[in-house]
Amino acid sequence: MLSFDIVAQILWTSFATSSYFVLFALAFALVLKVNRVFNFAQAAMMIASFYAAYSVVALAEGPGWLGFLAALAASVGMALVIELAGFRMLRKRRAAQMFVFIFTLIVSELVAYLAMLIYGTWPSTIFPSLFWPVTLVGPIAISAWDIPAVAVMVACVAALFLFLRFAKVGQFMVAVADNPDLAELYGIAKERIYLATMIAAGVLVAIGMFLYGTRAQVQPTTSIDLMLFAIAATIIGGIGNLWGAAITAVVLGIVQNSSVLFIPSEWQGFLLYVFLFVAIVFLPNGIRLPRRRRMVRKTIIPGFETADAKEA
Amino acid sequence: MRKTLLSRGRRQLLAGMGAAVALALTAGASSAQETLRFGLAMPLSGGQALYGQDQVKAAEWAVAEINAKGGVNGKKLEMILLDTRADPQVGIQSANRLVSVEKVPVFITAWSAVVKAIAPIANDNKVVQLSVGANSADIAKLGDYTYTTFPLADVDIAAVANYSATKLGKKRAAVLYINNETGVVAAQIYRDVFTKAGGQVVAYEAYDPKASDWTGSLLKVRAANPDIIHIQGLVADTPQVIAQMRQLGLTQPVSSYSAVYNPKLIEQLGKAAEGVIATSLAPGVEDEKVKAYVERWRKEVGREPNGLPYTQYLYDAPYIIAAVFKSLEDKKLPLTGENFRQEMLAIKTFDLPLTGKLVINENHTVAKPVYLMEVKDGKWGQLAVVN
Repeated sequence: MLSFDIVAQILWTSFATSSYFVLFALAFALVLKVNRVFNFAQAAMMIASFYAAYSVVALAEGPGWLGFLAALAASVGMALVIELAGFRMLRKRRAAQMFVFIFTLIVSELVAYLAMLIYGTWPSTIFPSLFWPVTLVGPIAISAWDIPAVAVMVACVAALFLFLRFAKVGQFMVAVADNPDLAELYGIAKERIYLATMIAAGVLVAIGMFLYGTRAQVQPTTSIDLMLFAIAATIIGGIGNLWGAAITAVVLGIVQNSSVLFIPSEWQGFLLYVFLFVAIVFLPNGIRLPRRRRMVRKTIIPGFETADAKEA
Repeated sequence: MRKTLLSRGRRQLLAGMGAAVALALTAGASSAQETLRFGLAMPLSGGQALYGQDQVKAAEWAVAEINAKGGVNGKKLEMILLDTRADPQVGIQSANRLVSVEKVPVFITAWSAVVKAIAPIANDNKVVQLSVGANSADIAKLGDYTYTTFPLADVDIAAVANYSATKLGKKRAAVLYINNETGVVAAQIYRDVFTKAGGQVVAYEAYDPKASDWTGSLLKVRAANPDIIHIQGLVADTPQVIAQMRQLGLTQPVSSYSAVYNPKLIEQLGKAAEGVIATSLAPGVEDEKVKAYVERWRKEVGREPNGLPYTQYLYDAPYIIAAVFKSLEDKKLPLTGENFRQEMLAIKTFDLPLTGKLVINENHTVAKPVYLMEVKDGKWGQLAVVN
């Protein structure tokens, strides 16, 4: 049963299908890191982007690229509405974090309900066909969807990394994530950075949802299910750790898929909740690799002990 | 004196009011007698409204047609429509209103969870609940006052399992099913019937309802090397499972059930859909009456109904009620739930416009033929009818 062919196929397909999960997890983790919001309303951005692409491509028979632009516009538009009409207002009112979270839940349900009224509950795809041609590379079946999806995911991760490292707005996002008040003292308009973060999340969501909608059927409530995976990856990868969330999304996909080889298949879905439970209870900071010990010479001056020195 | 006059005036006023009330009650009673009332509790809002609303429309058309043809012995049928949202709690509220306020002897419901939740109310009040569309096998065990007009899950799954083993000559089946109540129960039925018919189930794999990738389960199925693969999923996931199955090189014939019997499957899968066998519990557009019904949908609503076979059953349900009401009226029996139940079981066989002959059994099941449909040359065609 556990042959090379089977293991290789599971590894490849899981890696390819994790492409959209990585983007959803990154979008969620980014907003959580910078805006400090547990943004369940990301599901609303996902619904808006899918149905925008679906309307253009499947209903109006427009080209795929136009559908993608529509998805991008809808997702970013929804992100702007959530930030400007929701989060910003709630920040001004100094709303409790729990209240903001409840707001995001309501937005996701509201938009799902609206989509249900407009588009119904019948599962839909962006392109009429779900079947992608397959090429055999040795024993591994690689579909025509897999390679572009993986390439897009890798490009997005690289672009986000470069953006956060080198672009001015990206650097400001990191600064606001570290300490928003200090960042403001240094002249960074944090409200603008919160808005920019939501836009960046909107772009990632649109790309992820376009990939998902070209491979799988979507119903208005699908995005709420997909969010669970993004949240799990963010928590297990370590809250505030973007790249940890992305890597966890890939690993979770592989582990979940390959688990059926070792455990009864009906336990497959249960596994995600086990991971979440373990992560929340035993690894509240996520799975972190051990850091190299910093070679810092500590000089302790009486009356000026550092926090580290006090702990020691 | 004045007091006496006033008293007399008051008595006259009261007498006048009493007479008016009595007149109104008599008029009300006579107008109530003119219509024969029954209830319909369906999801008119919420996630299942798309199907519920179309099913309601079908029932409304049937009631209008029965009334246009003179009703039941000259009396019009009146349908009291309430929302269940396909939610058991809302369903209970609607059923209570139908039983206690509207005082109907019979009402129609659907969706297994709702039908199960309402059954105690029907039993306690001796009002007949007709389940039209729900297919959980448990519906046959909900008490004396819940009956189905729709074949329960075991009917079509048993038919396709038996046909695969005996007529198609398949000896090794793999069963891939969604891990929820519908999938688990139906997969067990398939496994039992296929094994009893002489076949062997070589792989029996569940998948998570939230799954979007089935590689692991499909590779296990591939390793078992079956002759046929039965997929017991939902309309949202089954086409994707079949697509991924074909991509992984599994070329075996696929069987499923009524959820996949729709033209969209062929559009979504193209050539990968060839050979897929599904079931239908009602005749398709090959039947002239069904063809005219679908044409009416296209003309009046601008599209085909969502879940065509279910709407056919809903269209036929008022005809069953009208037939029982007529029999009770002819026998001059009061329209109570108890009498309705007895008369329905006495009539037993109904010849219905869109779903054909229906036999309601004492054991709360129904006998209906199962239509096996197959994708051939890019379209659905009838493979066999299993009685």
